[in-house]
Amino acid sequence: MHNFKLSLILITMFTLGGCTKERNIEFGVDEARVLEDKSRKTKKKNDAEFVSILYTNLYQTAISPNQLYKTQNVVYSIGDQDVANEMLLSNYFNTSGLTIPKDTDMRNDIESFVVNTFKRFYLRYPSEGEKAFFGQYIKTNPNVTVEMVYTAFACSEEYQYY
Amino acid sequence: MNRKNFITKSGIALGGGILAPYILPSGRLFAKTGTLKADHVVLVMFAGGVRQQESVLGRYLEDSQGVSGAAGNIMPNLFEGNSPTKKIAYGTSVVGKPNGSEPIPKLLTNSLERSGLLFPEMRAQSAGHYVGLNTLLTGNAGTNQGLKVRPAYPTIFEYLRKHAGLKATDTWFIGNGIGNSTPLLNSSNHQDYGLAYGGNMFAAPVTFSNAGKEILGNAKTYSRSDLEPMYHMKNFLDQSFALTKDQISSVSNTDEEKSQIKDFIKSVFTKQQSGQLAMPPVTDNGDALNVMYAAEVLKEFKPKMLAVNISGVDSCHSNFTGYLQSLHRADHITGWLWQYIQNNIPQMSGNTIFIVAPECGRNLTPNPILDQNDWVAYDHSDANALRVWGLMAGKGVPSLRVGGESQPVGRLTDIVPTIADVFGILDDVKAAGLIDPLAQSLYNRI
Repeated sequence: MHNFKLSLILITMFTLGGCTKERNIEFGVDEARVLEDKSRKTKKKNDAEFVSILYTNLYQTAISPNQLYKTQNVVYSIGDQDVANEMLLSNYFNTSGLTIPKDTDMRNDIESFVVNTFKRFYLRYPSEGEKAFFGQYIKTNPNVTVEMVYTAFACSEEYQYY
Repeated sequence: MNRKNFITKSGIALGGGILAPYILPSGRLFAKTGTLKADHVVLVMFAGGVRQQESVLGRYLEDSQGVSGAAGNIMPNLFEGNSPTKKIAYGTSVVGKPNGSEPIPKLLTNSLERSGLLFPEMRAQSAGHYVGLNTLLTGNAGTNQGLKVRPAYPTIFEYLRKHAGLKATDTWFIGNGIGNSTPLLNSSNHQDYGLAYGGNMFAAPVTFSNAGKEILGNAKTYSRSDLEPMYHMKNFLDQSFALTKDQISSVSNTDEEKSQIKDFIKSVFTKQQSGQLAMPPVTDNGDALNVMYAAEVLKEFKPKMLAVNISGVDSCHSNFTGYLQSLHRADHITGWLWQYIQNNIPQMSGNTIFIVAPECGRNLTPNPILDQNDWVAYDHSDANALRVWGLMAGKGVPSLRVGGESQPVGRLTDIVPTIADVFGILDDVKAAGLIDPLAQSLYNRI
């Protein structure tokens, strides 16, 4: 009986002694802007990727597989891909349902428009030089529209790469 | 610097400044013009594997199906010879008469054989379509040419643009679809040439299809004042993302050329809508449509070099009757295209050389597939499939027949040096060392 009590006391002591207070550990993660880097865009989008990404960009909804297939074939059937893409884009701009800023929005805050356009098409921030060029160009050319700027971006070389 | 030195150096600098913009990509100041034989060449890549027996030899059913007394010429616009009189199945169908029993009336007063130069027995270097098409456009036998990749050797479009200084819209390839790697034929991937010198291209039956109309037909027509800012901004963006030569993935036209192409595409849709497209009298297959669009390109751009591909006769793998009908139609549309150039494009009429050649032949012995007339079919893989012919007509081309069944003269690889010869750049093309060493200009085979 004495041995039993002793064993119970020892077990209780070891058990309690083995417990430690649980600590909440949090790792500090700094916020980072995860964006594309122009110099790392080395892979060319294939026709399907280009059309699909462009459509989603402009309409903010995915293109249907049937429409994608048809569009891909037509684009592929033209030797000058710039011509094909410019016409495709122009055709899109002639439809309803586009989700793009209004010209007045662009004029009201050109700098934000330029930054957002770079992020929207290139998934990166503009350099200071790019910001200055577009800011100045849009400001001094009142006939420049959102459609024109978007066409320039969508048909540019960088937009063909990821 | 003394006065004399100053004047000398200033003079050199001024002269260089004036001349530099005119130096051709090849480094030459002026395109060769001394031996120019014509301003335009149109090449018909005919037409998906053609047996000598039913084409230039005029044997119709006699050799292929063993029908005695059924020989005759079913290609009256290209070749001389009387039409068959027995078992006529290659024509159009008229209600109340057997299928295909009404031959299409001949369009040309004189066949191309009579008015031009015929090589009735040439040799193809391959029995396959894609390699054969490559051969016609590169002048190389293309033994290592893979499918689904651009030609390994420069095409005639690239030779002409690099050595004769032609602009992109001076050179066109009109493909008959987007299958079988056809859209890749407007340029090679050769490091010294490539897309920077490639020709323009439409896979016309797709570009101008219903889908094409839906996807491109509603495109806005931008004015010059609209386009200028767009290209200005695009060019700025492209400057900071300069592509290396091997990254170029498209033919490059100038901004003016691009606008012309876009306007042309829209105009074709408009003509389609109003039924104003010029077309051959019989337009009941894809080849006819492709030739029709080729004619539109010729009329709009007056290109120096245009190659158009047709392939309907390849139905011969399983349908000999269909093959005969396609062959008869290929003759019809080729004759129509030649006639169209003469009658409707004054800038090209009398100043064009027309070349017609198959990319390969077909077998001597049939496969066991029977068609609706119980006629056997033919593939293309044996020695007979390397037997082909070549036709030339137009400005300054003599009326001659060179060689014969027992005396082959010419190779399909001769087509590129012949075109190069027409444009006065044969020496440059030979010096590049990328064509078949046995190839010659057909002018030198006479």
